[in-house]
Amino acid sequence: MIPPIAVAKAVAYADSLALMAAGITLIYMCTKTFNFAHASFVTWGFYIAFTLTSLYGGSPYYYLPVAFIFVGLLGVAVYVLVIGPLMRRGASPTTLMMSTLGVDLVLLSFIQMFTDYLTRVFKLYARKIVLEVYDFDVFGLPGVTFISLVVVVFIISALHIFLVRTKFGTAMRATIENPNLASVLGINPDVVYLTSWFLGGGLAGLAGAIASITITGDPTVGSRIVVSMFASSIVGGLYSIYGSVLGGLLIGLTEYLGIMVLAIQLGGWVAVYRPVIPLIALATTLLVYPKGLGGINWSRITVRFKSLVGGS
Amino acid sequence: MELIPPVILYILVDFSIYLIVTLSLNLEVGYAGLPQFGRVLAVLTGALVAGAIPGRLLALMYGLPYGPEYAFYEYNYKVVDTLNTILEKNPLLSVTIFIFTLVLAMVLGAVIGYLTSKPAIRLREAYLGITLLAMGDVLMLITYYYTPIIGGTTGVSVVDPFRWTGGARFYVATFTLLGIALLTFLLIERLTKSPYGRVLRAMRDSELAITVYGRDIVKLRTYTLMVGAAIASLGGALYTFYTGSCIASTYTRVTWTFWPWAFMMLGGTGNNLGVMFGVLVFVIVKTLIVMYRGLLAPYVPFDPVWLEYTFVGMAIVLIAIFRPQGLIPEKPIFTIPRKKIEELIKA
Repeated sequence: MIPPIAVAKAVAYADSLALMAAGITLIYMCTKTFNFAHASFVTWGFYIAFTLTSLYGGSPYYYLPVAFIFVGLLGVAVYVLVIGPLMRRGASPTTLMMSTLGVDLVLLSFIQMFTDYLTRVFKLYARKIVLEVYDFDVFGLPGVTFISLVVVVFIISALHIFLVRTKFGTAMRATIENPNLASVLGINPDVVYLTSWFLGGGLAGLAGAIASITITGDPTVGSRIVVSMFASSIVGGLYSIYGSVLGGLLIGLTEYLGIMVLAIQLGGWVAVYRPVIPLIALATTLLVYPKGLGGINWSRITVRFKSLVGGS
Repeated sequence: MELIPPVILYILVDFSIYLIVTLSLNLEVGYAGLPQFGRVLAVLTGALVAGAIPGRLLALMYGLPYGPEYAFYEYNYKVVDTLNTILEKNPLLSVTIFIFTLVLAMVLGAVIGYLTSKPAIRLREAYLGITLLAMGDVLMLITYYYTPIIGGTTGVSVVDPFRWTGGARFYVATFTLLGIALLTFLLIERLTKSPYGRVLRAMRDSELAITVYGRDIVKLRTYTLMVGAAIASLGGALYTFYTGSCIASTYTRVTWTFWPWAFMMLGGTGNNLGVMFGVLVFVIVKTLIVMYRGLLAPYVPFDPVWLEYTFVGMAIVLIAIFRPQGLIPEKPIFTIPRKKIEELIKA
């Protein structure tokens, strides 16, 4: 019923959503900021992949690290200039969220200006971007599916090793648990917060660059999918990076394949209502189980399952 | 004959509409401390009422198509044209339909506010903010693609209740809007100085304390969301009547949620007079940018239209960092000393 290529595309979309949600969650865990500028961060990643591929040629995949570093530095700038000063003054979560909305507007206007600049100076048509043509085929399926899966697995492993095995990662977790206690032990929370914004921004840039290979983009691509990003991290529970990755995969696949199934069943007209799906997921999670996927105690469930299996 | 230059009328209209919407936002954010990031939801509700209902009612009265086909563009402009010629000769009907629609918009706005309060009771801070924002986005999306209500992507024309004033239409419309906006200001000012307003501030500052004093937070929040949404819905309906057309894509979260937030933050969160001042300053600056950005065009390699976004975004960030209390900070309300009240009672 659903062609394999659609499943492959859904996986690529879900992977990029998982990376976006991981970034939002990391930033929220460390600095208690719902980062709305994530929308523009993702769009910047998108445009870096597009611009470099169009100007210097080659595959968009070469520029994934550039997107990571550039948008990571953008995140650092946002922390240093806006969030840091506000946090030191003890601003409320609502104020922090509102200020990231302001940042998002500024960054969005910069993307719009940059797009005009590309059009006028380099004669690139940058208001409708399709990078799919640069992708390669693996057994008739788009390569981005496999690359994005590898990237997600790599990022999760790297983050896990970073947070659990390294000294700085331990310091980071300590700061998330209790910033005051951590600073008594000689950890500088400022450095931890800065790192979280670098990594969070970097993940957004990476996700945007991956998304550019699978979806059609324009300067508002980030703000169009920002509700899906937040739905993913809330379904993931907002307190666990692994949960947010799961949430991203879940939302991405349901959104992409769910609307396809509905369109086949009910007719093509439903396709435009696609963003309703993440909203329903978001509302259901918040009302039924606000702890989200990350809040489920998996070890207890497996123990119970084992005892059930053993008992029978 | 031009009594007032068009730019002044333009500023007055923007000021009136945004004053109403921002005051309603201030009631919820500044007084009750609710993170209302979905203001557009209620504004859009008002616009939907004004776009869909008065025209249909009149069409029903005069035997014109009023079902889903009313919103289809092949019929819509013809029907609305016919109705406008009727309204032109009938001031009483115009005024009645105008007032009726505004009341209906407020009622339906309150209903939407009540519906949004359902999740609001359980959620805290930013979670609630995101839920409200997502709701606004989804209503915009649905009404933009679903044609039978307000024509979907083509939009609809709206009957013009000011047509009978002839050449003075824009003056009458502008000053009606301004009058209603100032009335709203007085109403909200009165409301926020009443015991209800003081309870809201107390709830914002300490929910625990207000619970101890026996107030029901759930009820207070629900009531505030309903009142706020009703007022914002009024703003949306007025805007639709003024522009004479209604299309869902006008109601984005940037123009009807973030801008009012910026206006409120500039003027002074929790201070109605400050909000009025903030709206005035912003509207004037925005108009100046619109007027003079053309001069900049030859010197920059991009469309200067984006500078408006940069300006509003920068304003939000700079105010949050350097002047969180706004230009006119919130002042405590002093009550009359007990002795004086006793004297007044005796006298």
